[in-house]
Amino acid sequence: MKRVMSMIVAVLMMAGIFAIAGCGDAKDAKKDEVLKVGVLYISPEDDGGYSQAHAEGIAKALATYGDKIEIKKLESVDDADVEATNAAIENLVNDGCKLIFTTSYGYMDPTVAAAAKYPEVYFSHCSGYKYSGNGYEGKNMDAYFGQIETARYLSGIVAGMMTETDQLGYVAAFPIPEVIRGINAYTLGARSVNPDVVVKVSWTNTWFDPAVEQASAEALLADGCDVMAQHQDSPSAIEAAESAGALAIGYDLTYTGAPNAYLTAPLWDWGTYYTYKIGQVLDGKWEVENYWGGMKEGVAKLDALSSLVSEEAKAAVEAARAEVTEKGNAFVFAGPIYDQNGELKVAEGESIPYGDQMGMNWFVDGVIGQIPS
Amino acid sequence: MESIVRNDLHPAFSMRGITKMFGTVLANDSVDFEVLPGEIHALLGENGSGKSTLMNVLSGIYRPDDGQIEVYGELKEFRSPGDAIDSGIGMIHQHYKLAEAMTATENIVAGMKKPPKNSGKKDDVLRTDILRYASRSPAKTQQKIIEFSSRFGIEFDPSIPAGQLSVSQKQSVEIIKVLLRGASILILDEPTAVLTPQEAKKLFSVLRKMAAQGCAIVFISHKLNEIMALCDRVTVLRKGQSIETCTVSEIDAYDLVEKMVGRKINLSINKPDPDPERRVCLDVKGLTYSDSKSVPKLDNLSFTTYYGEILGVAGLAGGGQKELCESIAGIIRPQQGDILVDNERIAGLSPRDITQKGVAMCFIPEDRLGMGLVASMGIEENILLKEYALTKGPLIRMKDATTKAEQIINELEIKTPGLKHPVRMLSGGNIQKVILGREIHLNPKLMIAAYAVRGLDIHSSYTIYNLLNEQKQKNVSVLYIGEDLDVLIDLCDRIMVLCQGKNMGIVDASSTTKEEIGQMMSGTTLEELKRGVSYV
Amino acid sequence: MFRITKKESFTKAEAIIYRLFGFSVGIIFSGIIIAALGYPVFKTFISLAEGSFGSSIAIRNTISFLIPLSVTALGLSIAFKMRYWNIGGEGQILMGATAAMGVSMVLPSGMPGPLMMLSMLVAGFIGGSIWALIPGFFRINMKTNETLFTLMMNYLAICFVQYLYFELWRDPAKKGFPGIQDIPFRARIPYVSGISLAILAPLIIVLVVYFLIKKTKLGYEIRVVGESEPTAHYAGMNVKKIMFVGVMLSGGIVGVAGAVKLMGSTGTLSSSLGGGAGFTAIVIAWLANLSAPMIVLVSFLIAALEQGAQFIQVRMGVPAAVADIVKGLILMSVLGSEFMLRYKILFGVHTASKKLEERASVDPTMQDSDPESEVVEDSI
Repeated sequence: MKRVMSMIVAVLMMAGIFAIAGCGDAKDAKKDEVLKVGVLYISPEDDGGYSQAHAEGIAKALATYGDKIEIKKLESVDDADVEATNAAIENLVNDGCKLIFTTSYGYMDPTVAAAAKYPEVYFSHCSGYKYSGNGYEGKNMDAYFGQIETARYLSGIVAGMMTETDQLGYVAAFPIPEVIRGINAYTLGARSVNPDVVVKVSWTNTWFDPAVEQASAEALLADGCDVMAQHQDSPSAIEAAESAGALAIGYDLTYTGAPNAYLTAPLWDWGTYYTYKIGQVLDGKWEVENYWGGMKEGVAKLDALSSLVSEEAKAAVEAARAEVTEKGNAFVFAGPIYDQNGELKVAEGESIPYGDQMGMNWFVDGVIGQIPS
Repeated sequence: MESIVRNDLHPAFSMRGITKMFGTVLANDSVDFEVLPGEIHALLGENGSGKSTLMNVLSGIYRPDDGQIEVYGELKEFRSPGDAIDSGIGMIHQHYKLAEAMTATENIVAGMKKPPKNSGKKDDVLRTDILRYASRSPAKTQQKIIEFSSRFGIEFDPSIPAGQLSVSQKQSVEIIKVLLRGASILILDEPTAVLTPQEAKKLFSVLRKMAAQGCAIVFISHKLNEIMALCDRVTVLRKGQSIETCTVSEIDAYDLVEKMVGRKINLSINKPDPDPERRVCLDVKGLTYSDSKSVPKLDNLSFTTYYGEILGVAGLAGGGQKELCESIAGIIRPQQGDILVDNERIAGLSPRDITQKGVAMCFIPEDRLGMGLVASMGIEENILLKEYALTKGPLIRMKDATTKAEQIINELEIKTPGLKHPVRMLSGGNIQKVILGREIHLNPKLMIAAYAVRGLDIHSSYTIYNLLNEQKQKNVSVLYIGEDLDVLIDLCDRIMVLCQGKNMGIVDASSTTKEEIGQMMSGTTLEELKRGVSYV
Repeated sequence: MFRITKKESFTKAEAIIYRLFGFSVGIIFSGIIIAALGYPVFKTFISLAEGSFGSSIAIRNTISFLIPLSVTALGLSIAFKMRYWNIGGEGQILMGATAAMGVSMVLPSGMPGPLMMLSMLVAGFIGGSIWALIPGFFRINMKTNETLFTLMMNYLAICFVQYLYFELWRDPAKKGFPGIQDIPFRARIPYVSGISLAILAPLIIVLVVYFLIKKTKLGYEIRVVGESEPTAHYAGMNVKKIMFVGVMLSGGIVGVAGAVKLMGSTGTLSSSLGGGAGFTAIVIAWLANLSAPMIVLVSFLIAALEQGAQFIQVRMGVPAAVADIVKGLILMSVLGSEFMLRYKILFGVHTASKKLEERASVDPTMQDSDPESEVVEDSI
């Protein structure tokens, strides 16, 4: 009896909702004039890290195109939850998005699936390796990322110059090529000015968990590191350095919360890319590409060096900057490079090819830490 | 000894026109009730007649919809139980509310209020003293409490934890507690339900002493013989109305029952003769059981039951009755001893094994809703409880259960709105009938009924007695665990008395007396009694 | 001073009024918040509804949320019927999916699709039930607290799957990126006119669970054990065995939810596969009062709310946090109305009679029982 009556209630509720929904349908008639751009974020838009960097880039593009585009976003979509990602992309499509940026690696396969399902919608996926012509048959999916390793390399120079213990700490999210590349670039940069430096790595197995990130940083600091760097979405490692009286390199965004620790940070400036890509669609000139801009294009840059950075360090950065900007990752990963076991991986005069960079799964000499096999 | 009566012109309290509705149920319908100082006044009525409502109104728990309460001639309006206590009204509930780990003294003192200055109440000085000593000198406090208690002939050691006191001592502590809060009007809710006859007698003498000192006492009970023995007057409630107030010495028990039930009821249980063949049904040998905390519950217990007789089991609460029943029914496993039904061993078998061995036995546990029935299920699903396992296949057979349920409802006149109506919503009598009906339908050889009439009104109780007698006439061997010794004597053929898990002896119901059983309940064996030894 | 008492029963009209009232309160409160943040209230609610039912994409999304929620809640409800608090749904989903994944990796690739799917479903059942039986074993034999134990097993399962994801089952084809390979295409549950056939899972399982609980001896035993263990003992039931089988079924069905999600939706295994369904399903099971058909209905409403809440982020630009608040407020209010429906809050002492008043008015059997014998139980 109770059950029957509850069902009646539920049906009534739903009928009400349908009725309301029905009268709402006709409204968005003029929406076709503007280009709806969908963005999928892994964390909140104002996370003070990775997602915020993307959001600021989107904001720049919006400022450029004004009324011509409308931004539709979904925050905090777990990129390991395929079903949630699918649903999120479906919702963006359902609302009429014609161009969708999926900003985290884990969105890759759902993006491929959605691209296949909705060939009239353009997709751009950040930090992965599948795009039209490479792991996907359709014509509507792009891949984009940037040579942030250039800026990492320069930040490594700063750290290498500033350290007194010759031990650098690195709080890292997951043992994936993107993160490993960053650690290697940072180490190569530091050892280019200070061959005695070692970089100690601590894996957190999370992109965003301030408590875990802080605990990892504190462990590294206690272990003798005096400059922290991180590949995480929160600034916890910098804060831990500030509390411990050590120094820190940020990531993604300028961090003003630690005036006694913050030296500089490798930064993303996605505005350049988003403005460029949205422009293509607005002009009807979408092109499939695997975008990989660096400091030259302005997608990656090194934050202004703070007042804590010594004159010698500043000079060392400036000495390298021009060549790094010009040659990009080819300079960063130029031989000779030895791995942790002292084996020569890249000979003099060569540099790691793009494909190997994308799948990088070994540490250079000077990194203390392990990549789970 | 000076009297605490303050105004003899007024009754201690009088309730006039008390009306209390619960929804559509009129629990009290313009009830008048009046008790004089120095009087022991019985309040008699069946379950649901409105006794508890009326007393809850008097003790400030409910507010009446209509009517007046005067205490010592003063019109009162109670907003809370505290108001009633301040007016000198104290209630002793059936379930004691003592902190077991605290001593009797601490229990008495805790929550005591300092009497207002110049309140004029008699024991103010004593109460102030007790409170003053309470934190500093337990010995002096205890001394004062002992002095106070002895006025009423109450004896207990106030220095031991309440948890170690006997049931009757706990009751004494409750009484002292209430008196020391300034109560001169005492309400006792079925105070003898948990006492041995000897303890009950003692309580009566205490109550008489209190009355002699001017206390007004309301004695709620449905045991007619106690009312006849103790009380001065009796007020009968029926269906929410006060039927009559009469002087006990001018009336007999039969009239009282008639007033209470509204029609004549034959109070004697029609006892059929037991089967003369005396064939052994249940044979229990040297049963010994200790619970999970190693507390011995059954101690080398041996006895036999016969077909076509009712063997009563008497004993104080916790004397091993529950463990005895559960051992026989296969719910617990005794550590030693043997149980045979028709010479078939069932000790250590599970209830289902016993059934599958073809030993037809039924057990009516004391905790009806917690053990005998599934409270939220309807009658038909409860009928299934014992039988579902006997049918073949993985499915339950609802149809058979439904038919049987309808049959039982008709036969036992169970009042229920429907077969699926949760049994917990039925009245106590109907709940008991559901279990009995189900068990009787198993056509048992042996029937075990534990406290089968607990909480039932007179009418329902007699229905149950008749059902048990019908079983006896069908040559079933009935083991009846009871509380009311009068009933045990009237209903059973023989009575076994348990004390701390030991068999004190089996007496013939037709020749024994309550006193004899009472002495055995307190630890004197039948043999010792015959030799003239008594520990009581 | 106030106290809370359980109502003995309530009328149909009451139930409808309370629930509608609760729903409306949720709408009103979240409306106030939406308005305070400067979003158009009416339009937001229209998008909420549109996002859940307004288009075929919306309905598809709602259904894809519905499937794991309802299957999980159905599984949990069996344990809850026994008063066994299985809070380990999330872990059982994961282990069900893990077992299915493992089977898909070892089975010969030439195996026919339906056979492969069947083996994966069976594996899912076994995986989930083993994971549930670990705490179950300790609860049944040693009376440990299953609430904490099952909860902890969730985190253990998550760590285990992470280990598989990053190490043991890491797919070398992913160019150094971590991750487990996709299940073979033939093992994926097909779509028929846009609707995944995975929808059959809740539809079949709801019938199975309903039949099990209402019609079978085992279901009857499960209900009796949940009501009172002494009664079950009294009736000669083997309580340990019943609990064992009940926990096994409960975990198994939850494991099937994981396998279905793997085969019908995600196609690969990760520690996020559960997506919180194991926890949401607890709420669903209780909102549905553990009735199997109601579980499907409530799952549908919750899934719709979930999907609608995401859509208002897209359509109205409402931040995720606000969408969560809207979702939470509506859910809270409905839960609150259930509470108000089943319990009564009494202020002061004398109002104790109100409870009895209600009982008496709805229950004809009260007349012959003792209305004042039951005094209010819990005090706060």
